[in-house]
Amino acid sequence: MKNLLLASAMSIGAVMAASSAAHADCAIQNDTELSSLTAGFEAWKSVTDAMAECGNFSAELDQEFRTKQPAAFAANPSLYQIGGVSNGTITPLLNEGTIRPLDDLVAAYGQDLSPNQLIRIDGQIMAVAMMVNTQHLMFRQDIFDDLGLDVPTTWDEVIIAAEAIQEAGVVEYPLGGTMKAGWNIAQEFNNMFLGFGGTFVNDDGTPNVNTDAGVNALEMMARLTEFMDPEYLVSDSTYVQQQFQQGTIAMANLWASRAAAMDNPDESQVVGLVNTASAPMAVDGGAPATTLWWDGIVIASNITDEEAEAAFQVALEGIDTDMVTENNEDAIWLIAGYQPNRLAEGAIATATSNPAPQSYPSSTEMGLMHTALGNQLPAFFTGELSAEETLEAIEAEYLTAAEEAGIL
Amino acid sequence: MSGPKALQQPLSLRFFSGAFLTFWCLLAAFPIFWIAVMSFKAPVDAFAGNPLDVILGPMTRAGGDGLTLIDVVVGIAMLYGAVQVATRALPKLVAIDTPWSNEILRWLIASAAFAIGFVLVFFGLLPPILNAANSALGLEPVIGLTTVHYQAVWVENAFWRNFVNSLIVTVGVVTVSLTVGTLAGYALARSGSQLAFWILIIALIFRALPHSVLVAGYLPVFVNSAAILEPILGENAPTLYGQPLAVIAVLVSINQPFTIWMLRSFFMSIPAELDEAARVDGCTHFQAFRWVIMPVMWPGVITTGLFSFLLAYNDFLVTSLLLDASNQTMVPAIAGYFNRETTTTDQVEAVAAAVSITAPLFLLVMIFQRQIVSGLTAGAVKG
Amino acid sequence: MKFRTFAAFVGPSIFLMLLFIAAPLVSVFTQSFYLTQPVVEIVTEEVCTPGFLTQTCTTETRSQPVLDEDGRVVRETTFVGLQSYRNVLEPQRAWEAVSNFDFRGLLAIDFWKALRFTLTFTLITLPLVIGVGLAIALAVNNAAKVVRGPVIFVSLLPFIITPVIGALSIRWLFVGEGILTRALEWYLERDIAMFAQGWTIELLMLFYRVWHVAPFAFVIFYAGLQTVNTDTVEAAIIDGASRWQRLWYIIIPHLMPLIVFVALIHLMDAYRVFEEIVGFSSQAHVISLQWLTYDFLQPDDSGNRAVSRASASAMLTMIGIVILLIPLLRKTWRDHRGVR
Repeated sequence: MKNLLLASAMSIGAVMAASSAAHADCAIQNDTELSSLTAGFEAWKSVTDAMAECGNFSAELDQEFRTKQPAAFAANPSLYQIGGVSNGTITPLLNEGTIRPLDDLVAAYGQDLSPNQLIRIDGQIMAVAMMVNTQHLMFRQDIFDDLGLDVPTTWDEVIIAAEAIQEAGVVEYPLGGTMKAGWNIAQEFNNMFLGFGGTFVNDDGTPNVNTDAGVNALEMMARLTEFMDPEYLVSDSTYVQQQFQQGTIAMANLWASRAAAMDNPDESQVVGLVNTASAPMAVDGGAPATTLWWDGIVIASNITDEEAEAAFQVALEGIDTDMVTENNEDAIWLIAGYQPNRLAEGAIATATSNPAPQSYPSSTEMGLMHTALGNQLPAFFTGELSAEETLEAIEAEYLTAAEEAGIL
Repeated sequence: MSGPKALQQPLSLRFFSGAFLTFWCLLAAFPIFWIAVMSFKAPVDAFAGNPLDVILGPMTRAGGDGLTLIDVVVGIAMLYGAVQVATRALPKLVAIDTPWSNEILRWLIASAAFAIGFVLVFFGLLPPILNAANSALGLEPVIGLTTVHYQAVWVENAFWRNFVNSLIVTVGVVTVSLTVGTLAGYALARSGSQLAFWILIIALIFRALPHSVLVAGYLPVFVNSAAILEPILGENAPTLYGQPLAVIAVLVSINQPFTIWMLRSFFMSIPAELDEAARVDGCTHFQAFRWVIMPVMWPGVITTGLFSFLLAYNDFLVTSLLLDASNQTMVPAIAGYFNRETTTTDQVEAVAAAVSITAPLFLLVMIFQRQIVSGLTAGAVKG
Repeated sequence: MKFRTFAAFVGPSIFLMLLFIAAPLVSVFTQSFYLTQPVVEIVTEEVCTPGFLTQTCTTETRSQPVLDEDGRVVRETTFVGLQSYRNVLEPQRAWEAVSNFDFRGLLAIDFWKALRFTLTFTLITLPLVIGVGLAIALAVNNAAKVVRGPVIFVSLLPFIITPVIGALSIRWLFVGEGILTRALEWYLERDIAMFAQGWTIELLMLFYRVWHVAPFAFVIFYAGLQTVNTDTVEAAIIDGASRWQRLWYIIIPHLMPLIVFVALIHLMDAYRVFEEIVGFSSQAHVISLQWLTYDFLQPDDSGNRAVSRASASAMLTMIGIVILLIPLLRKTWRDHRGVR
C-alpha cells in the first residue's frame, strides 16, 4: 500500500514536472490513464513530452523496449496503450497480433496526417510513422575543401578520398564505421549487401547470402576497415559520433538522427564543419548502399476501444506540427511543418535518389538473418574465417534458427 | 605484531611490503578516482586525450566554473574530517548502549545522521561561505569543475526516484533475506542430519547457476501473473511485473544459498552448549534462538547483511528485466543512459550518476569496515 | 532437533529457493528436450512504407504465425530429444575439427569458443585472486596500525563498486585513446589499440576480474590472519623456522579452510562470467557460456527467442560447473562424514 502511494505520488510528480516544463498546449483534455513504451532517443523524448501535455499520461523511454514490448503488449490487458516502433521492431507485434488496425481511428481523428505517414500492411493501417532515419555519408567539408576533393558518390570513391586524406596526414584514420559486433555490424553488411544487389532469403525462406553479392560486400567492408581505427569491432554509433566531434575522423556512413550532434557547441569541436550527402553506392548507377527506416506509433489491441480512442488522440498530439516546430532539429520528421536544415540534405538525397534504397524489411526471416549476421560476421574481420566460410556459417546459423522458429 | 625481537622484520621486507601496498592502493582507487574527476568536467574536457586537461578542465574553467585555491584546501580538510568522524567518532557513539535500542538500530540511525550531515555541510553550508570568501579575496579558479551534470541527473532526470526505488528494494532484500536466512542457518548449523547436509549441497549448486537462465524464465510469468493467479486469488490477482515486492522476493531467493551458508558457519562458531542449556531449562528451540542466540549473533548478521546489501544494490540483470520505468532502480537507470542513442553529454551525466550511486557504498564501507573484519573474524567464514 | 522444528526453521528459505530457483530450473530442463514453435503460414501482402515525400509499396512474401479466434498465436510443442543439444554442440563439426587437429575450426563453433574462454578465464583468475588477496592480507597485517584502516578502506573499493560501473570505468581508461592506452603508448613507444584484438581484451577482462575480486579474498584472509595462534608462531620462531617456513607450515594451513571457501565462491562466480563481456563489448572476439545462453534468450528482431537452444546451453553450463565443483564438494562431503 505504501509502495502504491509512493509510486502514484511519483508519477504525478513526473507528469507535473513534464507539463510545467513544456508549453501546456494540448488541444484535448485526456481523462484516461495512459502509458507508452518507446525507445529513448531525442525524437522520442520530444514526442512523449508533447503527449504528456494532455495529462494522465506517463511515458517509459527504455533502451530495452525491444525485449519488453512483445511481452508487455501480449498481456491482457496490455501494460501499455501506446508503443513506439520502427520497421525493425514492429514485426513481433504484428506477428502476435498485439497491435490493432488503425483505419477507423485514422478516419475519425487523422485528418492532419499525410498519406505518406500511414504504414499499410495488407491494406490495413497498422502504424503511423513520424520520422525517417537512414545511414548516409557525413564528411568534414573543411578537409575536403583543403585537399580539393569531391564528395564521393560510390564506395570506391570513398576509398580514394580516404587514401588522399590519410596521405595528407590530416587525420590518422579517415573513416569511421558503426562496426560493433552484433546488431551494428550486421546492419553495415545489410547496407553493402543490398547495394551489391543481393537478396537475403529466397521465396521459400532458405538463406541466400552466400553469393557474389555477399562476398563483394564483405570484401568492400574489409577494404574500408583498413582506413578505420583498429578498434572498429567495438565502435557503435555513439562512438563514431564522438570521433567526429573530436575531429579524429573525416568520413562515416552514419545515422541521420546523429547529425544534429555535430553542431552542438557543448560537445563538438567541429561545429559547422560537417556536411551530409547521399549514402555512397556500391556499384555505379545502383541504389545507395543503405536502408530506409521509419519510426512511428502503434496502439495495443488488448485494451478497450475507449482507451484506444483516447490513446490515439493523445498520440496524435505528440506528433503534431507544434511539436515539430519546437523540435525541428531532432529528426527528419514526416510531419507537416518540418523545415529541413543543412544537415538533413544527405538523408533527403538518399531517400529521394533513383533508384531508391530499400526499406528495411519487417519480416521474421529478416529478423533471424540479422541476428545470424551479427553473431557470425566478426569472425571474418578477426581473420578467423574466410569470406566464404563466414557466409556459410551465417547460412548454417540462420537455418538452425529458422527451423526452430517453424519457418522451414 | 610487536613483541619478540625475532618477529621484527628486516628493512627490505618492510620496504617491499610497503611498496606493494602503495601500488595496490593506487591500482584500487585510480579508476574510481578518475570517473569521479570526469563527472565534474564539461564533456569536451571529460573525454580529452591529455590527462592534465581532464584534471584541470580548461574548457570547464572557460565556462566560468571552477575551484579556487581556498576551495581546494578547505575541501580536502573537510573531507579528512568527515573520514575521521566516520571511522573513529561514529563507532564510539554507536557503542554506547541504550536500553531502548539494539546495535542494528543504532547503526542505522548513526549512518543516516552522518549521511544527512555530510550532504548538508558539503552542499548546503560550504558553497556560500567559500563563494563569499573567494569574491572577497578576488581569487580566480585554478581547477575547472562543474556540478551541472549532477544537477541534470538528480533534478532534471529525477534520479532521486531511482534512488528511492533502490532504497526500497535494498532495504526489503536485506531485511527479508536476513530474517529467513538466520532461521534456516541456525537450524542447519544445529541439525546434523543427512537432510541438512543435502540441503546445503543443493544450495551450493543453486549458488553456481548462471542467473540469466533463471531470470528469463520469470519475465513471461510475471507479466501474465494476473491471469495465472486469478483462479487462486480471484479478481485482485496482481500483475507482478514492475512490482518491487516481486523483485525483492527474487533477489532474496537468488541470494539465499550464500546467506544460509555464511550464517550457518557463523552459528557453528557459537557453542551449542549455550542453547542446549536453555533447552534444558525448558525453552523450545525457537525460544532458545530468540533469547540466547539472537543477542550474540549480530556480528555475523551485520557481515552477511552487508553482502546482501551489495547484491541488491548492485543488481542489474534482475532489476532491469522485471521493473518498469516508474519503479526502476539506479543501476539499470544508468545503463539506460548508455544504451540509447547517446550524446557525449549523456555519457558524462551517466558518469555523474555512476559516481552518485558509488557514494553511498563509500559511506557504508567507511562506517562498517571494522564490523566487516570483526564479523568475519568472529567466524562467519570458518568454512 | 526434531524434524518438525527443523522444517519450521528452514521452511521459508527452502520455499523461496524451490519457487524461484528450482522451479525455473526444472522448466529449463524440460524445455531443453522440447521445441515450441508457432504454426506458420506463408502470406503474400502489400506493404507500404514512407519515403521522404511519397510512399513506396512493395508486395512481399513472408511467413507469419497463424492466430486463433482469440487472437493468440497457435503454437505447437514437439519432443525433439537431444536435437537442441546437437544444435548447440554441433558434434559433427566439432569432431571433424578435433580429428583433424584443427583447433581453429573447433573454436569457430560458438559453444566451444565460449567454453574455451570460460575455462581459461576461471582457471587463470583463480590462483591470481587467491595469490593477490593473500599478498594484500599479509602486507596489511604487516603494516603499521595507523595506516591499516585507510588501506582496508581503499582496498575494499573495487569489491563494493557496482560491477557494471567498475567494468566501464576500466574500459574508459583504455578504449580508443584512453589515458592509460596513451600512457602505455608513451612507455612502449608504439601504437596500441587495446580493443582491436582478442588477447588484449582478454587480458583486460582478467585484470578487471582480479581487481574486482581480490579485495574479497583479501578481507576474508585478513580476518583469518587475526585468529592465527601466536603461541604456535612463537614456538616456530624458537625452533628457528624462517619467515617463509612459518608462512608455509603455519599460516597457510591455518587459512586453508578460507582458501577453499574463496576458491569455491570464485569458481562459481568466474564460471558464470558475464558482465565483462557486456562491459568490454568483447563479443566479437571472446564470449562466455553465460553470455551464450543470454544471447540465445535475447529476442531477435522478429521477437523469437531460441528458448530450446538456450535451455540446452544452460544445462550444459550447469553440468560444467558441477564437474568443476566435484573436488570441492567431495572435500565438504568428507568433512561432513568426519564430523559425524
